[in-house]
Amino acid sequence: MNADVLIIGGGIQGCATAYHLARQGASVVVLEKDYIARHASGVNAGGVRLLGRDMAEVPLSKASMEMWQTLSDDLGQDTGFRRQSMINIALDEADMETLRQRKAMMRCEGYTHERIISRDELREHLPHVNPDCVGGVTSDLDGYAIPYMATNAFRLAAERHGAQIVAGEEVLNLRRVGDSWLAQGTTTRFEADTVVNCAGAWADRIALMIGDNVPLSHAAPMLMITARMPHFAKPVVGAVSRQLSFKQFENGTVLIGGGAKGFADRANNRTRLDYSKLANAARTAVEFFPIMRRSAINRMWAGLEAYMPDNLPVIGPAVNATRAFHAFGFSAHGFQMGPVVGQVMADLVLNGQSSFVLDAFRIDRYDRKVL
Amino acid sequence: MFQSLRNPNDERVQLTVNGELIEAFVGQSVWSVMALNDQSITRRAALSAEARSAYCAMGVCFECMVEIDGFPNQQACLRRVSKGMVVTTQDITEMTEASDACV
Amino acid sequence: MPAFDCAIVGAGPAGMSAAIELAKRGARIAVLDRGRRAGGQIYRAVTDSPLPDTQVLGSDYTEGAALVAAFEQADATHFTQADVWHVGDDSRILFSRQGETHELHCREIVLCPGAMERPMPIPGWTLPGVMTAGSAQVMLKSDATVAEGAIFAGSGPLLYLIVAQYLRLGVPVAALVDTTPRSNYFDAAPMLPRALRRLPLLKKGLSLLREIRNAGVPFFRGASALQVLGDEHAIGLRFIAGGTSHEIGARTIFLHHGVQPNLNMTRAMDLEHQWNPEQLCWQVKSDAFGQTSVPHVSVAGDGAGIVGADGARAAGRLTALNILHRLGRLPRTDRDNAAAADLGALAAMAPFRAFIDRLYRPTKALRLPNVPTTLVCRCEEQSLAQLRAGFDQGARDPNALKMLTRCGMGPCQGRQCGHVLTELLSDWRGEPAEAVGYYRLRSPQRLLTLDELSRFHAVSAEAAE
Repeated sequence: MNADVLIIGGGIQGCATAYHLARQGASVVVLEKDYIARHASGVNAGGVRLLGRDMAEVPLSKASMEMWQTLSDDLGQDTGFRRQSMINIALDEADMETLRQRKAMMRCEGYTHERIISRDELREHLPHVNPDCVGGVTSDLDGYAIPYMATNAFRLAAERHGAQIVAGEEVLNLRRVGDSWLAQGTTTRFEADTVVNCAGAWADRIALMIGDNVPLSHAAPMLMITARMPHFAKPVVGAVSRQLSFKQFENGTVLIGGGAKGFADRANNRTRLDYSKLANAARTAVEFFPIMRRSAINRMWAGLEAYMPDNLPVIGPAVNATRAFHAFGFSAHGFQMGPVVGQVMADLVLNGQSSFVLDAFRIDRYDRKVL
Repeated sequence: MFQSLRNPNDERVQLTVNGELIEAFVGQSVWSVMALNDQSITRRAALSAEARSAYCAMGVCFECMVEIDGFPNQQACLRRVSKGMVVTTQDITEMTEASDACV
Repeated sequence: MPAFDCAIVGAGPAGMSAAIELAKRGARIAVLDRGRRAGGQIYRAVTDSPLPDTQVLGSDYTEGAALVAAFEQADATHFTQADVWHVGDDSRILFSRQGETHELHCREIVLCPGAMERPMPIPGWTLPGVMTAGSAQVMLKSDATVAEGAIFAGSGPLLYLIVAQYLRLGVPVAALVDTTPRSNYFDAAPMLPRALRRLPLLKKGLSLLREIRNAGVPFFRGASALQVLGDEHAIGLRFIAGGTSHEIGARTIFLHHGVQPNLNMTRAMDLEHQWNPEQLCWQVKSDAFGQTSVPHVSVAGDGAGIVGADGARAAGRLTALNILHRLGRLPRTDRDNAAAADLGALAAMAPFRAFIDRLYRPTKALRLPNVPTTLVCRCEEQSLAQLRAGFDQGARDPNALKMLTRCGMGPCQGRQCGHVLTELLSDWRGEPAEAVGYYRLRSPQRLLTLDELSRFHAVSAEAAE
């Protein structure tokens, strides 16, 4: 099977890249070893968040947030996106000080999308929050989407523009021969001018085939979803200094994340939960929102996600090969960036450059360091 | 109509079901107390708000979920009565708003 | 932290028998069960029934008291009122007890999840007042609660048993509406000669039916096209029998057409399963000793395929013998010698079981809904028509349909709709049930409040003893 561009990995980054490339006329094949959105892109918490981003990510994240607002219309497919704002709660004065320092730093960079809110405003937006909480920070454009729907929306739009999605096909071998990339899949051989590595928790293996070594690790962030409960929180909720993250969907169910990690068994393509850590997450949720004491968990699960040592993704060209590009290692906050990353990758592939500064995301940023 | 075959002299406790003060036998299931007192609607379905009641009485259908002492989603067939327990028909649909902050 | 040699989940006949055998040979065991006393569904409240006289329930029930007594004498740590909501193949078991969460470690696991009744998705089956025959049994045994003037509809020994028990107690019964199709008698006939080796069981069944007929309860045979009447509550049952349409008024209607393994625990563990074409249900794959596709996890009793209470006792003992061998407490030859009697007994029961299975095989018209508006998924209120629409949109397997429609995503986690969905998809795809599969399940296996989860304790085997 031949194509201009071979994308490895059918998560949101791979599908968004496929969409932007196909839309501009490139012939694209996406190889996915399981099925679309099987891992981090399908089982994440769906947060679409600009709030609290690392400075290096803010420009990309801001651009992506603009794209989310009209994404369902642009793709002709519902992504489940709801703009509900997001609030990170400050538990005490130390948290408020952290927020003030960050605000000063943001202002130096010219960013104004984060707004510190008082105790009163916090309670106005979240009447059920523990009254001991002293304030917080909010970003109005933020919200949530339904992970599987959003990833699938990119996939369907890409297919409409002629991209081919091949599921159940794992890349066993990848070589640069002359001007071509040759990939041996489980059942089929593929040939392309360009390869894009969007392989998530498996991206270090693909990077190695391309010729780039990268210190990627993987983990299994855990999630819980409750049975329907009375609506008590419209915004997406996080905390400044604690592992708290949840959102209540329109149907009344509440998805609780927070970053507690289970056991990632990458070799066997599966995860296992750590219930004592989930118990901690439950305690934290109840502490911040006493009303949640009475909520009932219906399902718990974990997804496999890739992490870089600095929790920043790898986005950019390969350093040890030509016509190869990477987009992976989003460290549990890549879902929101999917739309813009797709565009960046398409720009890199088609024009050799992006309008964004990508230095912080170079794949070789650890080459000079001793880990 | 549901009837009890128990010895009427067995020890009893008082509890409240949907605001009504009711006497039940010690150790009785919440579902059986509701059935015997003509309070058989355990919950409203979440989408249609249709009335539902116990179907299996052994914990596998989750139709008899009621609110007990403020906690929703309690299976009435599996819970036993206790003194002063407050039981209400569960009425949580997708439209339900939480009442004012409890703290 | 000290761990148990073996944890047994479920204290019905299989779990109790396994525990007795394991304890006898010195294994350190934990038994986890939801009840206040052991007994499971079949021997529920057999030692502390609120009924003034339990003799009316029959000797099959009262004889359970001896097993419960033997179990309670055995040297096992019995966690009563322990609601197990996760069993991991990493040997961790999570359960709720009195509002708190506990985690326990064990070398070997025996699952005895028992059986549940096969759902009967007829029009109106979600109306208040429609319950299962098993629920009538539970209410009678645990709470001495009965429904006067109820209709009993369906087929199978359990249905006839509860009607007979009601009659012995003097509880009026509106009607017995028997849905066993006439053709089943012909289909089962060739299996009768082998089944006759268990003549006493056959006689017991026949005497139940005679007892019901002699009591003068309206008895309709070969009934079909069942429909519950009522808007807010059941007010009666409409059906066809003997070529005419009947309507009988009743506020309580008990349905029953057989039992199937309670799958949630074995499915949530991702053990290998297979479709049983005789019993028309999924069952976990296991060997003669109940050992599953995960070697340190065994399954015994109806949860491994319907065998009845006697079969469950034998299966529990066999499972225990094999685990003793795995624990290094019993050489293989000793295990095999000790197992011979129970293996023989199970083999001897099989022809009778096959006969009963065939005779009371539920008809497709009652196993599967055939009115578009009938709900298949009671929790998320998904009707036959909605599922078909999802299928037509390309959701061809149970998990895809679940993602699309939320069917099976509610609190019962597919216990009520799972089998129905497998059979529906099998029909629509024109492929065997085996190819269709089942939902991928996740913990917890029952709703768990954040409050319960936040109170987390590890259980040490030494401290528990």
